[in-house]
Amino acid sequence: MSQNNPADSPTDPSAASQNNSEEVKTPKTLLEPRTERSLAEWVTFTIAALILSTLIGLIIYDWQANQNRPPAFQVEVTESARITDGRYYVPFSVRNTGGRIARTVQVTAELLLSDGESESGEQQIDFLSGNERKSGSFVFAHNPQEGELLIRVASYGLP
Amino acid sequence: MSEHQETLSSTSASDLTPSAGATYGWGQELQDLLRGSAGSFLFGIPLLYTVEVWSIGSSASGPMLLAILGVTFVMVWLLTQTEGFRRTLSLRPAEALMESVEALSLGMVCAAIALIILRRINLDTPFTETLGKLVFEGVPFSLGVALARSTLSQPRQRDRRHVNSSRRFAAPDLFNLQDTLIDLDATLIGAIIIAFSIAPTEEVRLLSASLPPLWLLIVMAASLFSSYIIVFASGFGDRTERQQRGLLLSPVTETLMAYIVALAASVMMLIFFQQLSPSDPWQEWVGDAIVLTFPATIGGAAGRILI
Repeated sequence: MSQNNPADSPTDPSAASQNNSEEVKTPKTLLEPRTERSLAEWVTFTIAALILSTLIGLIIYDWQANQNRPPAFQVEVTESARITDGRYYVPFSVRNTGGRIARTVQVTAELLLSDGESESGEQQIDFLSGNERKSGSFVFAHNPQEGELLIRVASYGLP
Repeated sequence: MSEHQETLSSTSASDLTPSAGATYGWGQELQDLLRGSAGSFLFGIPLLYTVEVWSIGSSASGPMLLAILGVTFVMVWLLTQTEGFRRTLSLRPAEALMESVEALSLGMVCAAIALIILRRINLDTPFTETLGKLVFEGVPFSLGVALARSTLSQPRQRDRRHVNSSRRFAAPDLFNLQDTLIDLDATLIGAIIIAFSIAPTEEVRLLSASLPPLWLLIVMAASLFSSYIIVFASGFGDRTERQQRGLLLSPVTETLMAYIVALAASVMMLIFFQQLSPSDPWQEWVGDAIVLTFPATIGGAAGRILI
């Protein structure tokens, strides 16, 4: 049965995790300093060291590549407007072509109609890091084809 | 990680028949790594469900990330000197350093897997953002690796009582049923301890909304897999005893049962915190519940070992 043997407990905290019959012997070897690591442990260490040095290398590379490139934006209307329930949905996407991250990127859209009226929309994007693209839609009551549509990034903040 | 998963079944089978020669072999090493991963997920999951960490990570600069890696390494190294994830109790200084490198690296790998599972990193994520999220989320995951041995070891003093004499005379199924209920109870407690602080947050909705429909299956699979690893493959707790009292349930069945308990607990918690209401579409119920069940299952698995 798997009842615990209280006699061996004080000398042997490692057996707390398991108390198989095998475990009665192993604690001594666990307590002694080992002469060498096993092959499996060396393989693990090698892979681990490789992963870490790759990570550090990538961080340094990315920092060198992007630290001097302030945010810049490219806004485009990705596809033609769709009409649902008499509203015009104009999808857009904004891409940070710079290297550094921008916060609170404000995208504004203004629709200047031929009869002098205008409609406007605004969208704020919380985070836009270097090379990231985010999408959304502006919603108008009038057909954007009948007027002049201006979509631009009006402002952004730095973290 | 894939090689670990392939050899998983053979290891768990061979561990049941003790062989002294394989103490420091590949099986032992795999078990050590799985133990580290289990501790890593247990410790790191709560911070994974924190939107601020993602954004802080996204906007951190290169030198900052390197500094964080360095500080984490020192913390892991200090922890490794007393805790660590291997079962060896005596280390030379160089070995402590090497184990720290392994722990930090394992933590980063686990954090990457978790971030991919929850779609915080995908193919569209910009490189800088990926690195930032990975390093920041990697901190708790690495500390979890370094704490694995002590977090999930069963304290000897807290062993439960057993009434052994009557077991052989009574119907075995009744006792197994009782033990199974104790297990499920422990699952429930563990699930609530870990997931209760996550359930009322915005992140559950945010994550489930950003997952593509079929991706929920991957989250479910990850929950089941990590639950199985924590309880059965990483050598925590007393498996011999578990084998004896868990005869009614095979490891796979027990893992599935525990998942269902965690799922039910998650739904109850989401209702309790009014994150789900009858007016919400059923897709949201399913998505939110599965996303919250991921930490709940991990908590439940830890509960079954510790309680």
